[in-house]
Amino acid sequence: MIPNPLALIAEVTHRCPLHCVYCSNPLKLVSRKAELSSGEWARVFGEAAQLGVLHLHLTGGEPAARIDLESLILAGHQAGLYTNLITSGVGISAARLSRLVEAGLDHIQLSFQDSQNRLANWIAGAKAHAHKISLARAIRALPVAFTVNLVVHRQNLDHIDEMIEFTKQLEPQRVEVAHAQYYGWALKNRDALLPTGDQLEKCLRAVEKARQSLAGKMRIDSVVPDYYARYPKACMGGWGQRILLIDPSGGALPCHAAGVIPGLHFDNVREHPLGWIWTSSDAFQKFRGEGWMSGTCKNCERRFTDFGGCRCQAFLVTGNASATDPVCSLSPDHDLIKIAQSQAGREGERLSLHYRTQEP
Amino acid sequence: MPRPVPSSQPRLAPGCRWSTRDEQPVLLFPEGMVRLQGPAQYILELCDGHRTLEEIVATLSERYASSSEQKISEDVLSFLEALQKKRLVDY
Repeated sequence: MIPNPLALIAEVTHRCPLHCVYCSNPLKLVSRKAELSSGEWARVFGEAAQLGVLHLHLTGGEPAARIDLESLILAGHQAGLYTNLITSGVGISAARLSRLVEAGLDHIQLSFQDSQNRLANWIAGAKAHAHKISLARAIRALPVAFTVNLVVHRQNLDHIDEMIEFTKQLEPQRVEVAHAQYYGWALKNRDALLPTGDQLEKCLRAVEKARQSLAGKMRIDSVVPDYYARYPKACMGGWGQRILLIDPSGGALPCHAAGVIPGLHFDNVREHPLGWIWTSSDAFQKFRGEGWMSGTCKNCERRFTDFGGCRCQAFLVTGNASATDPVCSLSPDHDLIKIAQSQAGREGERLSLHYRTQEP
Repeated sequence: MPRPVPSSQPRLAPGCRWSTRDEQPVLLFPEGMVRLQGPAQYILELCDGHRTLEEIVATLSERYASSSEQKISEDVLSFLEALQKKRLVDY
């Protein structure tokens, strides 16, 4: 029995005015002319609601790069979905923000690259930090849930205390301390971004301290980054179990990075109803359940807890998409992760960063 | 954060709302949802930003007459405090 999806991640565009080195978008980005129209998205949102989806996450790229973001939010809201906007804030003025909330936006998640202006703009490859701070003020004045997303990695974890302190002035209800995930551009930059074990411990302590001192004011959510966890993350709540992602051109993916897995064909919402894609398309069937699992996972009692981890990460690190996620301490390929850890923060390393860029 | 007082007017926090779609009530909030029933559902439905805590407890005492008003009051207080910490309720 295939469960209903609960959340739809809509990558409404891959265009983005920022060039963050930790971006987990694919290296091969979808061009503007291939993007779904607002009418097509509205139909998809309606179909998603019919299927049982409750949450709509509008992301990208930068969703605000679309001039029709207002109508996308309205369409999601009218379909009865809870609408969440994941944004860098660039392209959203205070006036536009009011229109987005008016259209039915329930939650806005604003990313910050650092607490310090210079460092934030360095990681983003763009001068966005000051605008984000002023946008935060405008958000607080409106009836919408507000999350600050602090993206952390080796280049900023040494001052995690300062970064959490910085978020207080933004007055969000919720802060996500989000460790970079090593897909796409972030994987290309992994040597510069993967934290050291010491940094990670310091971060856990800082988060715990802040949770206590800010209880009732700000809720702080954070998970151990999977490279340092004992067991893998339950990626997407299991392949084809709870979440589906539609890319800017309408391709339906079971996971953000699934495009890297060779031989997978992603059916498109322009050609098939969403319900058929969810229940019957090859890509969603491929790693559903446990038939595909290696012996390591098949005989593990955690297979219904973490579903063997992330298929895309398994492929990216081991070359085999059916392997146990190598971040799992039980994986026969776990030494590949140990090697990456031991290389993090070596003395005298030369830092080279690849900024996210898009062909015109 | 201080505990709610009798004159507090609890309400759902911004971005926390009932789903308008399903017959069974679902409370939606950032990154999550919960299907509620029984007293939990009833208490939250009374948290409309107008009713005071005192009025909510009185209403509940009528409905759940077998429990003492003091017990109900304590239960409501700790329920609202827990939800406030999760940033689902303001008062």
